[in-house]
Amino acid sequence: MIRYMIVQNVLHRPLRTFITVLAVAVEVTLVIIVVGLTSGLLAESAKRIEGVGADIMVQPPQASYLMAFSGAPMPIAIADKLAQLEYVQAVAPVLTQFNTSGIEIVYGIDQQSFHAVTGGFVFHQGHDLQGPNDILVDDVYAKSKNIKLGQTLQLFGHDFHVAGIVEHGKGARLFVFLSTLQEIGGSHDKASVFFIKCDRTDNTPAVTDEIKDLLPRYEVRPLKDLMTLMTSSNLPGLAAFINVMIGIAVVIGFLVIFLSMYTTIIERTREIGVLKSLGASKGYIVRIVLSETTLLCIGGAVAGVGLSYLMSAIFIKLFPTLTILITALWVLRAGLIAIVGGLLGAAYPAWMASRKDPVEALAYE
Amino acid sequence: MLKATRIFPSSDSLTLEGERLLEPILKTENLWKVYRQGKVEVPALRGVSIDIFPGEFVSIMGPSGCGKSTMLHVIGGLAQATSGRVLLDGNDLTTMSDSARTLLRRHKVGFVFQRFNLLPTLDAYHNITLAQHIHGNGFDPHRFQVVADLLGLSGRLKHKPSELSGGEQQRVALARAIVSEPKIVLADEPTGNLDTKSSEAVLNLLRQLNQDLGQTIVMITHNPEAAAYGHRVLHMRDGEVVDGSSVH
Repeated sequence: MIRYMIVQNVLHRPLRTFITVLAVAVEVTLVIIVVGLTSGLLAESAKRIEGVGADIMVQPPQASYLMAFSGAPMPIAIADKLAQLEYVQAVAPVLTQFNTSGIEIVYGIDQQSFHAVTGGFVFHQGHDLQGPNDILVDDVYAKSKNIKLGQTLQLFGHDFHVAGIVEHGKGARLFVFLSTLQEIGGSHDKASVFFIKCDRTDNTPAVTDEIKDLLPRYEVRPLKDLMTLMTSSNLPGLAAFINVMIGIAVVIGFLVIFLSMYTTIIERTREIGVLKSLGASKGYIVRIVLSETTLLCIGGAVAGVGLSYLMSAIFIKLFPTLTILITALWVLRAGLIAIVGGLLGAAYPAWMASRKDPVEALAYE
Repeated sequence: MLKATRIFPSSDSLTLEGERLLEPILKTENLWKVYRQGKVEVPALRGVSIDIFPGEFVSIMGPSGCGKSTMLHVIGGLAQATSGRVLLDGNDLTTMSDSARTLLRRHKVGFVFQRFNLLPTLDAYHNITLAQHIHGNGFDPHRFQVVADLLGLSGRLKHKPSELSGGEQQRVALARAIVSEPKIVLADEPTGNLDTKSSEAVLNLLRQLNQDLGQTIVMITHNPEAAAYGHRVLHMRDGEVVDGSSVH
């Protein structure tokens, strides 16, 4: 009976229902897309770093997993020390630079050592870096920016010549000579990260320990664990950002449901009086209000999931280098967040409805 | 104190004057209801004492503002009395909590209002079964059918209130009031919003409910013709029952 009543109530005011469901859907979409974008960014970065093919990554003290946001670079001379360690097959120093105009990381590489660690690029077109102004771009970047072999690409106020288009997945999407990037950034003889290839994967723990002894304060990370480390909860800044966005979404949902149910209760004052005259308890009336809220929130959550996939498809179409990771866990969480926020928003209107004086409610015009 | 008359609801209208044979289903003793308007106290009921017996159909008449609606709200447990006693089927409403009065309304009282007060989103069928749902004993198809047939609603059950005439809406409201077999039906100007023909139909139905089902009914009205459908009429003025002996 209550189910029939709330369905009829929801259908009785289609515009109000539509607006409420839409607002909850936007709330759910906000959560799913924000989390999807950050998770996507992390997962994609991790995947690309793993794609380098190294076993260990050495970074300066307190550096972030996200290399673009790392601190001061390290002296490049460290590479020689690392190369002399037992079981180390190759060491590739890389200087990273964040290109703010395209929101991309550029790797400055020493081609020989980088090839030794990664096994070399797979070329779609063109050839290795030859001149100081040469640049390699990966196929995803080339496609999204419509970049052709041989064209000029401006980065950091510097004109680069596109020497090759390579298969994606080797750490970054753009590669230039280490010396060129050092010059541009004024960081002579510096590197942001050392990728280390061990002679055998089994020796990774031993080499990790050796490096930790050699460079006690430095961040030494076996890349096998990188994917699991690259979660928002391991990045305090991102976790806080996600929490703030979820907070905003909950507040939106809370306010929309509060307003919607508050006006509904006012509008239905006489009906509440009728229910009370029939002997409906406070709990019965609260149950009706909260059930209706739950139905609206579930409708909003379902619409929100659909809207998230739609938005995700539109974003990917517009910005092909973006990765949006929509997981079942976060779809479920976003739905629950919407329902809990909605129920909190409906709590006061429900309480208000249950406490209405029946005589006054029946006299309501 | 009124000298109440016991009237059997059967068609024989066997009337026993003098000593009562039954306990009243509703009894008020020196009932007061005082409203506060700022610092001013406005008494709506001033020491009302009445007895209503099982199977009676009693009309309460009086001019606007005489306290008859307040009386209906208090004896139906919708409003709390300021002082005095209200005994409904042996339960003293004046000592009850709000939730206890809610429970009592659910099981013992059926209301009919001037403005029908049907839920606009529900069709006639669900407006009626809502009362059974709140009552908590589940849907009783037999009782429902008896009531729907008696009130001539069988062909109109799938219609929403906006698709029904005033007379039909009031018949649905009547069905809702009696479907859970209340001890007493309290009707507040049930014909106040109806034309003459529909009013007559509703009043005849009330009489029929009283006669066929033995339903105790208290009806408020300002219309003497409507009041005449009851077994007796209580006249109210300025919050008091001034005459309660009229018997038809």
